[in-house]
Amino acid sequence: MLSALRATEPAKYVIYVGFLAIFALFAVALRDSGFLTTANLLNIIQQTTSVTVMAVATVFVLTVGEIDLSIGSVVAIAALVAAVTMREFPWPLGVLAGLAAGVAIGFVNGALVAYVRLPSFLVTLATMGLLAGVARSLTNLQSVPVEDDVFNALFGSAALLGIPSLVLWSVAAVGIGHFVFRETRFGAHVHATGDNAGAARAGGVKVERIRLACLVVSSTCAALAGLLYAGRLHGARYTLGETDLLTVIAAVIVGGTRLSGGAGSVPGALIGSLLMGMLNNGLILMGLSVSDQMIVRGFIILAAVALTLRDRTR
Amino acid sequence: MLERIISKTAVFAGTIAFAAGLPLTGASAQETKGPGGETATPANALMLSDAEVAKIKEGKYSAALLWHTSSDFVNAVTAGASDEFSRLGVTIVATTDAGFDAAKQKSDVETVMAKKPSVILALPLDPVASAEAFRPAVAAGTKLVLLSNVPKGYVQGKDYVAIVTDDLFQMGKQAADALAAALGKKGKVAWIFHDAQYYVTNQRDNAFKTTIEKDYPDMKIVATAGITDPARAQDIAQALLTKTPDLDGIYVTWAEPAEGVLAALRAAGNTKTKIVTLDLSEPVALDMVKGGNVAAITADKAYELGRAMATAAGYGLIGKAAPAFVVAPALTATKANVAQAWQDSLHRDAPKSVTAALK
Repeated sequence: MLSALRATEPAKYVIYVGFLAIFALFAVALRDSGFLTTANLLNIIQQTTSVTVMAVATVFVLTVGEIDLSIGSVVAIAALVAAVTMREFPWPLGVLAGLAAGVAIGFVNGALVAYVRLPSFLVTLATMGLLAGVARSLTNLQSVPVEDDVFNALFGSAALLGIPSLVLWSVAAVGIGHFVFRETRFGAHVHATGDNAGAARAGGVKVERIRLACLVVSSTCAALAGLLYAGRLHGARYTLGETDLLTVIAAVIVGGTRLSGGAGSVPGALIGSLLMGMLNNGLILMGLSVSDQMIVRGFIILAAVALTLRDRTR
Repeated sequence: MLERIISKTAVFAGTIAFAAGLPLTGASAQETKGPGGETATPANALMLSDAEVAKIKEGKYSAALLWHTSSDFVNAVTAGASDEFSRLGVTIVATTDAGFDAAKQKSDVETVMAKKPSVILALPLDPVASAEAFRPAVAAGTKLVLLSNVPKGYVQGKDYVAIVTDDLFQMGKQAADALAAALGKKGKVAWIFHDAQYYVTNQRDNAFKTTIEKDYPDMKIVATAGITDPARAQDIAQALLTKTPDLDGIYVTWAEPAEGVLAALRAAGNTKTKIVTLDLSEPVALDMVKGGNVAAITADKAYELGRAMATAAGYGLIGKAAPAFVVAPALTATKANVAQAWQDSLHRDAPKSVTAALK
């Protein structure tokens, strides 16, 4: 069964099998430690929501053949802008302001990449540092509390029919992302551009516009991730998102998206993100020391990568 | 601008207020005040009777350690807490490292709550976010013992058992006193501070600056530089030395960047400028012992701090009223007492290289 799957679409399915295997391992090893409780499993999804939202957008960016390193800094900026706005104005304006910051940054990144034709790695590396500085100076390193109950409920701690709102955000991001990626003309153009930009252009795809759009989507989703952090923590801080970039990229790649463009998977990115969250959760519950947690996590990710991403043509 | 950042960060926790000014007597706890102006209780004043220890043992309690980062300091605190917990028959069921990320800390709290620990020892990373992060633990009746920071709105005795802190003010002040002693109370000084909103370093850095400004009129802080990334300390020190080549002394916010500053001085062939820094580190201590640039290192009794946190947790478990605000003392290590300082601070022998160089 495994070999049959591997023969067809290796990267596509083995990650799911690997995910289930690790899940089963934790379920057995931690049967007395509360790993399998509904509360704990929902925790894992909620803890990874921000990363999942960014991972969905990163599937688009990597598939179109670009990369966005600035997402971590956008998280902090959007959260702070929203929190500061909500001090004076009602929460919808805070949400709009936070998202608008993301859209604006995405436009700048995208325009520099698509129209000025600069490499996205360097453009977003530069904006990553620039925006981290802006986030620090925005509130003089101060944390900003968010006291709006509606915002905190919608973006953090509320539940609908027993399902936490963060879980719904994850489902929505993955559902919409998957649909757009697979079923729309935009999604097809993203694939075509990443696969062979010249051919795509000859075929009538507005390659520049697609690249710009992908970077706007990426930045906007990072801003949404920032709002979700602010809702979860009831406040914003300049360090939010600082450590998320590599987790997001790892989740997306483990989930079967090609770093070189042209192919990707939104559900795979979700599984990658949940895998990262599950590893954090399970290794803590095992009672390992922090150093041992890092070592074991490294080994498991290596194993997952070896299973899913081995390049048979090399 | 800088002043504004510093003065604002000084009240970052919005709670613990450190009142400066009393002369150094060794009874450092006198200078430090708790959130509501409580007098500090020295760490060694926490005591559990044999009957109380037996009662805690009966409970078969469990503990989770939710740290903010991984470091020598955290290791020493963990060692102190582990030893005390094993004396009290409390099992440690989880240890985490939030990597200074408030969001990760919230996840860590949620995760360890699956194990229903009776006690959590933690350093809350952010007054705002941590108030939200630790709420599930408070709601579940888990006894919280906090290191240094207090989540906004938390009430002692109700939401947490006690705050235990190292004497941050004393660490900075003793660094200033040690530099003054090394320089004969006069000279030009550079102040390299941690340019981030982080209570621990902000307190220590400011205590150094205040002490120099208030107590040593013939010492002048002529250059200041903020660092966020210890790896860049060498570049920063090089720039400082280029601008002000006749520096007599440099304060560095902690040992890791001090290694970079030391490298810059060595590269410049500078044997005159003295360094003081905080937290014991082997390369820095080795330079001090060999008569290099490092004049003194101040540190805290981290092991004792960890032990005190675990003891305070014991108070919480049996419903004994704990002192609100407990302080572990600071110490100054010079060539003369470095071996003992390692024992006092980290509860282990000084590194071999350091003891060998002493001979």
